[in-house]
Amino acid sequence: MRKFDKDRLLLGLAGPVLALAVAFVLTSVVLLASDRDPIEPFRLMFDAASFSDVQVLIINQTGTYYLAALAVAVGFRMNLFNIGVDGQYRLAAMVAALIGAAVELPGPLHIALIVIVAMLVGAFWAGIAGILKTTRGVSEVVSTIMLNAIATSLIAWLILPSNFGEQPPGSNDLTTGDIPESGWFPALEVTGGEIYGFTFVAFALGFVYWFVLNRTRFGFDLRATGASSTAAQASGVDAKKMVLTAMLISGAVAGLAGMPTLLGDTHTYSFNFPVGVGFTGITIALLGRNSPVGIFFAALLVSFLDKTSADLDQHGYEKEIATIMQGLIVIAVVVSYELVRQYGLRRQQRKVGEELAAGHALKTAKEAAK
Amino acid sequence: MHRGTVHALVGENGAGKSTLMKILYGMQKPDEGTITVDGARVSFNSPGDAIDRGIGMVHQHFMLADNLTVLENVVLGSEKLHGIGSAARRKIRQISQQYGLGIRPDALVEELGVADRQRVEILKVLYRGARILILDEPTAVLVPQEVDALFANLRELKAEGLTVIFISHKLGEVLSVADEITVIRRGTTVGTADPASTTPRQLAELMVGAELPTPETRESTVTDVPMLQVQGLSLAESRQVTVPETSEPQLPTSDTLEEPGVPVGRMLLDGISITIHKGEILGIAGVEGNGQTELIETLMGMRNPDTGAITLDGVDITHAHTRKRREDGIGYIPEDRHRHGLLLESPLWENRILGHVTEPPNSRRGLLDPKAARRDTLRIVREYDVRTPGIDVTAASLSGGNQQKLIVGREMSHHPKLLIAAHPTRGVDVGAQAQIWDQIREARREGLAVLLISADLDELIGLSDTLRVMYRGRLVADADPATITPEELGSAMTGAATGHLEHPQHPEDGEAR
Repeated sequence: MRKFDKDRLLLGLAGPVLALAVAFVLTSVVLLASDRDPIEPFRLMFDAASFSDVQVLIINQTGTYYLAALAVAVGFRMNLFNIGVDGQYRLAAMVAALIGAAVELPGPLHIALIVIVAMLVGAFWAGIAGILKTTRGVSEVVSTIMLNAIATSLIAWLILPSNFGEQPPGSNDLTTGDIPESGWFPALEVTGGEIYGFTFVAFALGFVYWFVLNRTRFGFDLRATGASSTAAQASGVDAKKMVLTAMLISGAVAGLAGMPTLLGDTHTYSFNFPVGVGFTGITIALLGRNSPVGIFFAALLVSFLDKTSADLDQHGYEKEIATIMQGLIVIAVVVSYELVRQYGLRRQQRKVGEELAAGHALKTAKEAAK
Repeated sequence: MHRGTVHALVGENGAGKSTLMKILYGMQKPDEGTITVDGARVSFNSPGDAIDRGIGMVHQHFMLADNLTVLENVVLGSEKLHGIGSAARRKIRQISQQYGLGIRPDALVEELGVADRQRVEILKVLYRGARILILDEPTAVLVPQEVDALFANLRELKAEGLTVIFISHKLGEVLSVADEITVIRRGTTVGTADPASTTPRQLAELMVGAELPTPETRESTVTDVPMLQVQGLSLAESRQVTVPETSEPQLPTSDTLEEPGVPVGRMLLDGISITIHKGEILGIAGVEGNGQTELIETLMGMRNPDTGAITLDGVDITHAHTRKRREDGIGYIPEDRHRHGLLLESPLWENRILGHVTEPPNSRRGLLDPKAARRDTLRIVREYDVRTPGIDVTAASLSGGNQQKLIVGREMSHHPKLLIAAHPTRGVDVGAQAQIWDQIREARREGLAVLLISADLDELIGLSDTLRVMYRGRLVADADPATITPEELGSAMTGAATGHLEHPQHPEDGEAR
């Protein structure tokens, strides 16, 4: 049956390749329409990627995006759309930074405390949407979007110097105060800079994600719910419990998305902390088809676009070209995946028919008796 | 069909009623044959063509936008006829008065009860100028008072010279409202009947065909150890029903939970009590939509009963979770395998895990065991003759019969104490059918209790040790499968006979319960 596996792999690759090609062509069309060279920006971006410091930036960014995308993917696997990853990530990073700055503990304990707080806050924030959905039937799409806005206001209020924040002297920014060095995650020194240590934790989490989904009962229930909620219910899955658990996990992972930056770079939460990571995570989860490996490459690609486009300004191109391309990728991905999925199903149905007609069925007891 | 008449079309499930209506309404094209409307040969490419010819259809499932008013729903898509303002409102009022529909154009559809919605659907069709109305099982969702009101409306329509095509398998209703009856079976017309001189029983005979099944002789394996005991199970539909204004105040019937000022909820299950012993197959006959689905879902724990108790092998499971019930030994062959039995886009071996994820060989201590699950899938494929090139293909790529064999194999592999089998051979070819029956019989010999629900009366009679008839959420009759004929069963299914069905019997006697 290797044949069907190979088929599936090829079809699996066909989706993203098709989407990327379409997005690339459309971006070139946009460039042409605005009287620009359609190829030059891409060449400049590849040039930028040859510098080791840019490479380090890309890797570090990939780690953050990877976590955000995993958070989204957990929801996607059971047809839950957690648009609130961004709010969960920001609120979690902010509260974790506050707690981290407020205490002093031996190294590993300090880091563990910050990480656990981040996961709990993220899970709590997503859990609100989960509870609303299970008890009142509120769509998680709507509630998580609203919770994003509430998180923004809540953070702005918490970080006021009159509450928990600080205003560094001679700055307009507000921060949560600095986390002492015991709460810094060790980094890997390479040529071109430091790779945040938490980036490796992020990638390790990809393995955990794969294991939980594919090797545990819980993961099977979750995937079954995503594949057919009616069949899952008939099979004995408690739909409400599943929704709530998935939202909590998604939120906890979203809470982790801020950790590479917080533990490896800024050591404080301020208004300069990156925003929109959760939304980019949606793009990446879509492009990576919710698979831990696919998400890795998707995160790498988007980080590449992000970090190498920064220099485009100096060459007379707008760096928003990368943003346009990201947007086009999302549209192309949605369309091409559906096309490939339907084609794959039809093709397999036909092939199975052909195989059976050609007498390649597995031997059954009835036949053996003949 | 003649102008100014109500013409009923009756037949079993799958007899071809819906297909015929789809052709008449332009949703499907016939291979051969002609349709003549008002003396002119017509052919329809779309429902639009049918509407132009004055044919309108009221679907079984209403197609209304809840958050719009009646007026908005009616004009939607036909804005050109009378605009969307006062002219349209006038027209709606006029139609409503003319046919006694009693519709307020500015009411919000979501505030209307089922019967009102149905009248809005009828008005929608009339508004578009239909002279021929097709009603697809219009009474399936109504309580008796609503049915009476609907029939009054139909008589109005008839009096105005409109033609109504009425599809139903509730024979009593058909006889009371129809002027002419056409019976179809296996895609062809098998006869017509004059409602004035036909009894429900004769009609049922026409419907199911006269040929008698040959219930095979076999030794009884029924023991006196009860496996499943159901006591007084009731379930009310959670919806609002407004008794239409046109209907006369009536005494509450036992079909509804009716209290003054409280919304009326149709009883989906009404005081169901059954006992199935080890080694017994209990068959439940009934026209679809009389509570069988709800009974199964309540037994599986997918719905919560309002009252009653369920005991499996001496353990009370009335409020147990679906998973717990499955682990305790209930096997489930669902009536809609695509919705409830399979993950269509997942490989066969994952489908083998579905429903039994907590049981060996699928998992150990919370972890899946894909290797063992795959090995066991191969065994099921072999033993249950599932035709597939491999176990990595998706369930969707198998034919319906092979999907069903996989499900039967999966459920039987866990040696259930009780098997709930809903239409176990639906859409399955003859060979596989016999095989599935054999497997059920074999397991019965080893002490399996089976609840069998089927629309195939021969299957019910041939397999069951005990037969019950379900009608409007109640078990109204029982019969001995050794002596009963499909015709007798058929007439009980339409509510025409109740109590213990004797053979030979006089269905009229059964009325006095």
